[in-house]
Amino acid sequence: MKTRYKKVMRDLLSGYAKNAMLVIAMAMGVFGVGAILGGYSVVKREMTANYMGTVPASATLEMEDSLKQGLIDSVRQWPGVSQAERHATVLARMRIDDKWFPLLLFVVDDFEHQRTNIARHVSGEQTPPTGTLLVERTAFVVMHAQEGDSLLVKTRHGEAKALKIVGTVHDAGLAPAWQEQAGYGYITLSTLRALGEDGGFDQLRILVSEHADSRDHIETKAKEIAIALNARHHGVHEIQIPPPGKHPHQSQMSAVMTIFVMFSFLVLVLASILVGTAVATIMVKHVRQIGVMKTLGANSRQIAVMYLTMVFALCLVALVIAIPLSRVAAAAFYDQIAVLLNLEIRDASIPVWVVAVQVFSGIGIPLLSAAVPVLRGSFISVRKALDNHGVGHRPQQQLSWTMKMLSSWKFAGDMFPLAMRNVFRQRSRLAMTLGLLAAGGAMFMMALNVSEAWEANLSRIYQQRLYDVEFRLNRLHPTDTLLAKLKSIPGVTHVEGWNSAAVAFSKGNKGVEVTRTYPDKGHGSFSMQALPVSTQLLRPDITAGRWLREGQANEVVLNQLATPMLSSVALGDTVSLTVNQHTTAWTVVGFVEDVGTPATAYVSIEAFAKAEDTAGKSNVLRVAYADRSKESTVKNNRLVEALLEKENIGVDATIPVWLLRNAIAGHMKVLVNSLMAMALLMAVVGTLGLMSTMSMNVLERTREIGVMRTLGATPRKIRSLVVWEGVSIGVMSIFLAFALSLLLSAYIGSFIGHMAFRTPLSLQISIVGVVAWVAMVMAGAYVATLYPSKRANTITTREALAYE
Amino acid sequence: MEHTNEKFLIRLSGVTKTFPVASGIFHALNNMTLDIPRGQLMAITGKSGSGKSTLLNIISGIDKPTHGSVVVDGVRIDTLSESELASWRGINIGVVFQFFQLLPTLTIAENVMLPMDFCNRYPAKERRPRALALLQHVGIGDQADKLPSALSGGQQQRAAIARALANDPPVLMADEPTGNLDSQTSTAIFELFAGLARLGKTVIIVTHERDFASYFENTMAMADGKMVTELSHA
Repeated sequence: MKTRYKKVMRDLLSGYAKNAMLVIAMAMGVFGVGAILGGYSVVKREMTANYMGTVPASATLEMEDSLKQGLIDSVRQWPGVSQAERHATVLARMRIDDKWFPLLLFVVDDFEHQRTNIARHVSGEQTPPTGTLLVERTAFVVMHAQEGDSLLVKTRHGEAKALKIVGTVHDAGLAPAWQEQAGYGYITLSTLRALGEDGGFDQLRILVSEHADSRDHIETKAKEIAIALNARHHGVHEIQIPPPGKHPHQSQMSAVMTIFVMFSFLVLVLASILVGTAVATIMVKHVRQIGVMKTLGANSRQIAVMYLTMVFALCLVALVIAIPLSRVAAAAFYDQIAVLLNLEIRDASIPVWVVAVQVFSGIGIPLLSAAVPVLRGSFISVRKALDNHGVGHRPQQQLSWTMKMLSSWKFAGDMFPLAMRNVFRQRSRLAMTLGLLAAGGAMFMMALNVSEAWEANLSRIYQQRLYDVEFRLNRLHPTDTLLAKLKSIPGVTHVEGWNSAAVAFSKGNKGVEVTRTYPDKGHGSFSMQALPVSTQLLRPDITAGRWLREGQANEVVLNQLATPMLSSVALGDTVSLTVNQHTTAWTVVGFVEDVGTPATAYVSIEAFAKAEDTAGKSNVLRVAYADRSKESTVKNNRLVEALLEKENIGVDATIPVWLLRNAIAGHMKVLVNSLMAMALLMAVVGTLGLMSTMSMNVLERTREIGVMRTLGATPRKIRSLVVWEGVSIGVMSIFLAFALSLLLSAYIGSFIGHMAFRTPLSLQISIVGVVAWVAMVMAGAYVATLYPSKRANTITTREALAYE
Repeated sequence: MEHTNEKFLIRLSGVTKTFPVASGIFHALNNMTLDIPRGQLMAITGKSGSGKSTLLNIISGIDKPTHGSVVVDGVRIDTLSESELASWRGINIGVVFQFFQLLPTLTIAENVMLPMDFCNRYPAKERRPRALALLQHVGIGDQADKLPSALSGGQQQRAAIARALANDPPVLMADEPTGNLDSQTSTAIFELFAGLARLGKTVIIVTHERDFASYFENTMAMADGKMVTELSHA
């Protein structure tokens, strides 16, 4: 090895404590990038593979009557159609621990030859015999059951019946059941009949053979078939075309992961800035050595290569540590996301490009950051290098007004003014340290702010919904006397009868409307809620216009998810909405935000009754209780259900508000937690930055401190000076971090809020976050100054004065 | 670079060096013309601020004159670039510092090998034997594999002299080389320099030590950036 590189290696080993700190900082950056990119790459690939593996139908045609096999065979012959299959989806209820929960029953025509939206067999029976069902693997936790157990199931028209669970399937096109707080069951048509339903297969799923990723092409084909079927008196009332080839959560996942990738690179950039700062100090410390080496014949290029080699070696060590660890973390990360998305990771290999990105960024970014101080240090003239005596190349002629002001602050001790002047001596380094700490603190506080805002937004579910449970009835029922009876139940404070119906914006399709609904009937769905205008059970936030008014015919208020379904819609516009094949024109009078509700158009129950001929009837009951606790709600629900049963009113689904809240909370909690983990990395890097700066500040003033001690400064004074410097930098960074955290919180909160609720999260300031960060910075500043102040006091005055 | 056989190894002509200071312009060297013959042990003396270190820096190419020309061994160095100067200096000038300036993380032998590495002089296999021979010559061959901090001041200065000789330069320059040493060690160091001059090296030493005047073949006194005592060119 060349002598000059022996020097590089020995220099690295001689300052191992500081270099270890740099390696840790860089390793954290490389680790973050690898963990996030590794996890993301696997999730993205597996999300597509899993979803496309189910062979998602290009379109589902909702029929008015059941479909015969012969018709399916003829649709299969339709030009441009590669597959057709009949199907049915029934919303039922299941009884778990004396409570009724929603159960989505998928009625499969032929389990052994599924052609679209394939539920993959996992265990047990392939085809469930009559009176049994298969269960989606994520639903067992909701059902509190396992294979072999029986489940009490009740459909709209039938009596409650026990179905035995005889097998398990995995349906990668569905969100996890625990997330939706619902069960997923797979049954044959004979089982549906056994449950008391006389309907048949009323869904036609088709798969187009060409341009499968073109929504327009799919729509054209589906409409062609719908028109042909209508002409043959097989009524089609809705065409559902979910985004082609896209998992229900794909766009949200991609967007959120993009944020994480950005943050992980930010950690690396911050760590690299730390390296740049540290290298700048090494260059300052080595400036005389550089002068000596140049005197001995070294040219600037040789010097630059030596110091860049030093940074390169640090990067290599960081990579060796970080890459294996990041792969472990990536595995944990994609496992978590897979659970969140109901994916099965079949190929867990992390692509080579992830390692390549880690290597290139883990070496390139720190080298880039270190290049400026290295080049500046390497190209210094020999005379300047040999004349260097530490800080203060450009002595100030006089004190600035800020320094004069700070110097007058005697309350903090006589060392404070001097500490403040020292803080501002190396302004570029101060700026970098403040930047590091501010970014770390801002991220940390932002994560806690967003987490709190997330919780606050979830609590809006209760603030906007003044009811505690929604009963979806099996059909329209007269409610005049029913509401009075329900109100008389002890604990019930208010009851309203609403109407709910699937709706589509009409584009003049002659009764066949196209929606974006996924097969689970939830994602992408759009419903019309007809409610008493003076409702006491709903308080959505009005974002524009006004709420519905009494006596005003055909007014509609759209919520935040319904609005984007139209390319443009403004107050006063007229929109055509199709319900049950009736298209009615409605005037848009307002826009609202209601957290956790799918796309909804709110209209008055009177106007709806006129349009749909439902006067005096409702298919939804919303009930408010005096005690809103979960325990009380469960107890009161039983009383209401008993009354409904007595009144012979069938219930499709019982959806308590707490269940809705839990379902929404489950969607994003892992991501909010991941944000916290990322924030902690940033906080650690920021604190390391402060420690690094402080040790550098003291190190390069060794001679100066020697002079001070010669002049009578006691060890206590020196310690006080160093600690004040660290604490001052820490305090300055807190203000910056706080201001930055507000901006970041608003941006990230808006992003995550839009992903989850289509509304921005409110800006929350987490007091815990602020206090925790202040404590971390103060503790970090104190710890960061401990070693330098100890060193400043242990080195003898003679050594300090002789220090070069 | 070819060495010439001219009588004067170093020739300065009308060299001026100025530095900007708060009160205006400071003349460190003021229109100085100087010829230094080969193979001499020569002293430069003068008070602090007289310009002697600046003169040393100008001759070694560490600094460039504001005006005038500097020719060393036939090469006009004031026109060379920083990069050219670095390799020229590594081969032609050996510098010895007051505080030794050995690199602390390299052993004594490695310190001596470093200039050979930078200037790519001598095959890599020959560098260590050469370094050991030089250390032997200056009397510390047994200290070769120790770190500088393990050596006394006198031993470190001997190591620094060995390092200055690494690339066999014709000129050796030392700025107060005994300023940090006791008198006994200083004597040994001056004897070492005198021996090197006898071997044909041109040794220029900036010093305040009057006790060692007998070692010098030539002494030049400086004041206010000018030569106040002419050199004898016998």
